[in-house]
Parts: sequence; structure tokens; C-alpha cells
Amino acid sequence: MTHPRKWLVPTLYILFLMLPIYGLLAMSFKTTGEILGGFSFFPQQFTLANYKVIFTDPTWYNGYINSIIYVVINTVISVSVALPAAYAFSRYRFLGDKHLFFWLLTNRMAPPAVFALPFFQLYSAIGLFDTHIAVALAHCLFNIPLTVWILEGFMSGIPKELDETAYLDGYSFPRFFIRIFIPTIAAGIGVAMFFCFMYSWVELLLAKTLTSVDAKPIAATMTRTASSSGYELGLLAAAGSLTILPGAIVIYFVRNYIAKGFALGRV
Amino acid sequence: MARIRFKNVQHAYPPPKGQKPVYALKEVNQIWEDGGAYALLGPSGCGKTTLLNTISGLLTPSEGEIYFDDQDVTHLPTPDRRIAQVFQFPVVYDTMTVFDNLAFPLRNRGMDETAVKLRVDQIAEMLDLTANLNKRASGLTADGKQKISLGRGLVRSDVNAILFDEPLTVIDPHLKWQLRSKLKELHQQIGVTMIYVTHDQVEALTFADKVVVMFEGTVVQVGTPVELFNRPKHKFVGYFIGSPGMNFLPCKIDRGQPVFHSNLLSTSHPVSNDLSGRIEVGIRPEFVEFADDGIPVVIESIEDLGRYQVVTVKHESEVIKMVVDEDRPIPTESPKIQLNPDMTRIFCDDWLVGGGQNE
Repeated sequence: MTHPRKWLVPTLYILFLMLPIYGLLAMSFKTTGEILGGFSFFPQQFTLANYKVIFTDPTWYNGYINSIIYVVINTVISVSVALPAAYAFSRYRFLGDKHLFFWLLTNRMAPPAVFALPFFQLYSAIGLFDTHIAVALAHCLFNIPLTVWILEGFMSGIPKELDETAYLDGYSFPRFFIRIFIPTIAAGIGVAMFFCFMYSWVELLLAKTLTSVDAKPIAATMTRTASSSGYELGLLAAAGSLTILPGAIVIYFVRNYIAKGFALGRV
Repeated sequence: MARIRFKNVQHAYPPPKGQKPVYALKEVNQIWEDGGAYALLGPSGCGKTTLLNTISGLLTPSEGEIYFDDQDVTHLPTPDRRIAQVFQFPVVYDTMTVFDNLAFPLRNRGMDETAVKLRVDQIAEMLDLTANLNKRASGLTADGKQKISLGRGLVRSDVNAILFDEPLTVIDPHLKWQLRSKLKELHQQIGVTMIYVTHDQVEALTFADKVVVMFEGTVVQVGTPVELFNRPKHKFVGYFIGSPGMNFLPCKIDRGQPVFHSNLLSTSHPVSNDLSGRIEVGIRPEFVEFADDGIPVVIESIEDLGRYQVVTVKHESEVIKMVVDEDRPIPTESPKIQLNPDMTRIFCDDWLVGGGQNE
């Protein structure tokens, strides 16, 4: 059954979704004066000055660099820890395995604010405050369980006969794991990395609490709405637009695998 | 190449909480002669796969030892055992091409590349995979993938044994015949021990020189197809081999001969009178025939299967199946049947007794 106006609802929906993003993008090309002056759908005086500030002022571009550094560290840690853990959950039966697996998820049930204070104290005490690794480790709290959960789903989709065949063909376990198993579940690793990236990239509270200057994330920089030169709304809009960009790029690469992850019910 | 010997092998999988372990293998003592073509036959869940996995080392049995010739390999890891195994469902390395899949076990053993190429081409030819050699393995159909799995098992020439775990389940029927005869042919060529697990008796009987019948974790009988047919050692073998399976009729013993519902039967394998336990007479449907004199029966149904017909008859409440040639008339008035005394066996508590035991 084809309806002549079946495109209507999706189009409206997409327009509705795109509206705030368009607003942000439009704003980023306006001067602060124009933004404060009143609403206009298109920039009256088109300017790239906001972007120029971000790419030249270290307090702005360092925010991006800091965010990217801890996100990458976090992704690497999460995936490399979760790979063996997920393998164990998917291949072996051990005492309390199911409880432990479920318990992993419960880590995601507490709001990050719960952990902010103890983390702040802990990281200050061991001298990790205001470092990238501190934020990366803090984000592992959410990301490792998630990654284990996602990878376990993908791994359980691979029959254990693959492992056994590799042994029969003369591979030891470590060689099998690295040379055959990891390439086989590459899609799953891609999806897991994407989710690590996404959670770590958008998480603000812990990242802000655990940093002050040297590792300050971009999201924290953006919460600074006014500076010595007054309101800088155009600049904020430009920063916001740039913040969306990495997510869009990453999701482009894993778009096909995400659907697979959803099909497994693990994402 | 080696002779594989099982000594009191037992295996129990870890039981669910609070339950006693269930033995998947019980007291298996078995010798697999070097170069034999064996079929391991039994119903699902009787321990066939467990037994295979203990040979290849994927499982370490909870008790007992396994020897390759005189070497105790019970705790030897799988890669060192030189066993090839093909599983029921296709296993391919998705990230490699078909050629690399087949070459994988050879390369792992440091074979040089020209020899690898030669051998892989030969196997690919045999399995009809030549056209696909450069394709990625993940793009093939299920039976294409299974052929790769088979090929990976057959490609090595240094193996002690090749184990097949119902390898033709996912293959089309017409291809099944072809591949099975290829396997048989290959066995004659290279003379490696092959153990072929199946629950299909036709498959087992056509492939193997010796059939090993398993039931509830034990090996109940080892023999040639003819032996299994004529002299099943256990009731299960009688049921399982042959179509339809063996008839079993409850009886008593009188002077070494069975008495079935006050009809004296005769057997060429008499037993002693003091048997205790549940006693039954076993007779194959092929060896029951209509006669002028014998046990009076009522005909229940006739199935015409082309070259022969299966007739189901009843005496008192016991059902007897018989196989009658298509051109033989079926008596209509007060039919009577006779059992061939040479093929009438006596079973006590499910096991064969009497002279038929150790011929």
C-alpha cells in the first residue's frame, strides 16, 4: 500500500529535529550583536570570526584537544579491558557468571553526580587531578560495562566451533584471539568504540569536576557564557557546531554495524 | 597416523547447581585402529560429540586416559594432537578468502607456499570449490561454507585422524551422496583414520567399515554393518539399525527355548533356563514370514513401499512388523507367522544372551 503523501510525516519529523541544529549553525555565523538584537532566520552579516577565534585562541582549541585525548584513552582502555571480559562471559560458565554480568549493568544505574565527589577526592589524593587519564578512567565506570555488554552479544553470535577449529588448525589461544577472533568481531568492536566515544564525548559532570585547566574539556569551556568582553553567543554557537562534528564523523563509519548491534538487542 | 586407544574414559559435564553430575561418557574402552573408517552412530545426546571432542582434545575427560599409539595424550593440548575435525555447522574464517581458509592449517605448520598451493588446488578440485577460491569465504552459501570446513579438515596429510561431526547436515541431498562417496574414496587413497559421527544409519552403514553404536554414554556394539544387522548385542542396536527396527516380544524360557504367549518358538541359539530378568525375543521384520502353521495373528495394516511391503500384525496385544516381498501374497484367512530360528535372538534385560552372543 503506497500512500501519495507518505513522505510527509518523516519530512516534518526531520525538519523538527534539524531545527535546533540549524539554529545553532546559523547563530555561529552571526555576530553576538545580531543574536542579541532579535531573531533572524538567516545571518544578516555573515561572519567567520567566531570560528577564527576558536581555531586561534588556545583556551578554545585546547578544549577540543583535551576532550579528544581523554576520549581516545578511554576508548582504548574500555575496549582492551572489555575484550577478554566479554570473551569470558560468552565462552565460559563460572560461578556467579550471570549475576556478575548483570551487576555490570547496574553500574550504569547511578547518576554520575553520585561518583563526582568520591572521584574528586580520590584523584586529588593520588595526584591525578586535572589530567586526561583521570577523566578517561572515570569514564570507564560507565563505558567498560557497556562495552562488555555489547561485545558479549557479538561474541556469542560467533560459534565456539570457530575457536575449536583454530586450535585444531594449530593456533594457540593468544594467536587465535588476536589473528582470527578480533578481526571476526571487528564490527562489534566498532560499535563498542562508537558508544565509548559517544558517552565519553558528551559526559560533562565528571569531566568538569576532575579538571581545572590542563585537561579542561570543550564542554566545560562552553559553559562559560560570558567573558571580559561580555556575552559571546556567536562564539558559543560555533563551538557547539564543532562539537557535533566528531560524533557525526564517527557515526558515519559505524552506521552499518549499529543496526546489527540493535538487532542483537545489545545497544 | 596412530592407533587411538581409550582406557576407561568417562566424562561428566559440570552439573547445574545442586544436581548430581550426569555422565555423558561412561566407561568407554575402545580402540580405533590406524586407517580405519569408523562411523559413530547413536541418537542425539548419547555422547557422540563428547567422545569426538575428547579425541581432539577440545575436552579433557574427567576420568581415564587416551593414547595415540603408546603416547598418553589425555592432557595434550589440541594444536599438538594433529587431529582434524569438521563440525556439524560450517566454520569459516570470515575475514579470509576461500583459498586462505583452506591453506590456513597448512601454513600454520610451516609448509612452503608452492606445496600449499598444490594441495589446496587438489582439495578444491575435489570439493568443487575451484571457481570460488579467490572469493571471500563470508559470501558463500551454507553448503559452500561447509565444503570449506570439510576441505580444511581434509587438506592436511599429517593428521592422526579426521573426525567428522555430522558434517553433511546442511548439505543438499544430492550433493550429500556425492560428498560421502568422495570421502570414502579419499579414505581409500590416503588411509587416514576417519571417524564419522551421525545419527543416520544409512550414512553410517555406507561410509564405514566398522560401525560403533553408542547409547546413553556407552559403546554398546562395534561391528560391521552385517554384524549389527544380524546380531545386535543390545536391544537399542536392534531398534536403531534396520528399517523398520527389530521386533521384541516378551517371553519365558522353557528348556532353553523361548515361549511367547504359550507358543513355543525355536531358536538356534538356546539359553539356560535359569535366566533372571526381563526376557524378550528379538527378530528382524525381514525374518518373519507367513506360514501354514505357526503363531496366529491379526493383520493390522499393510504399507506398500515399492519393492517390499511392511505388514503390521498383532498377536494378543503384541505388535509384530514383518517385511514381505512385493510379489508375495498376503493371506487373508486366519494368517499365521513363523520366525526364522537362525535369526531369533534372546535378550535379557536389554542385552543379548545365549549362543548368539559370541559367535
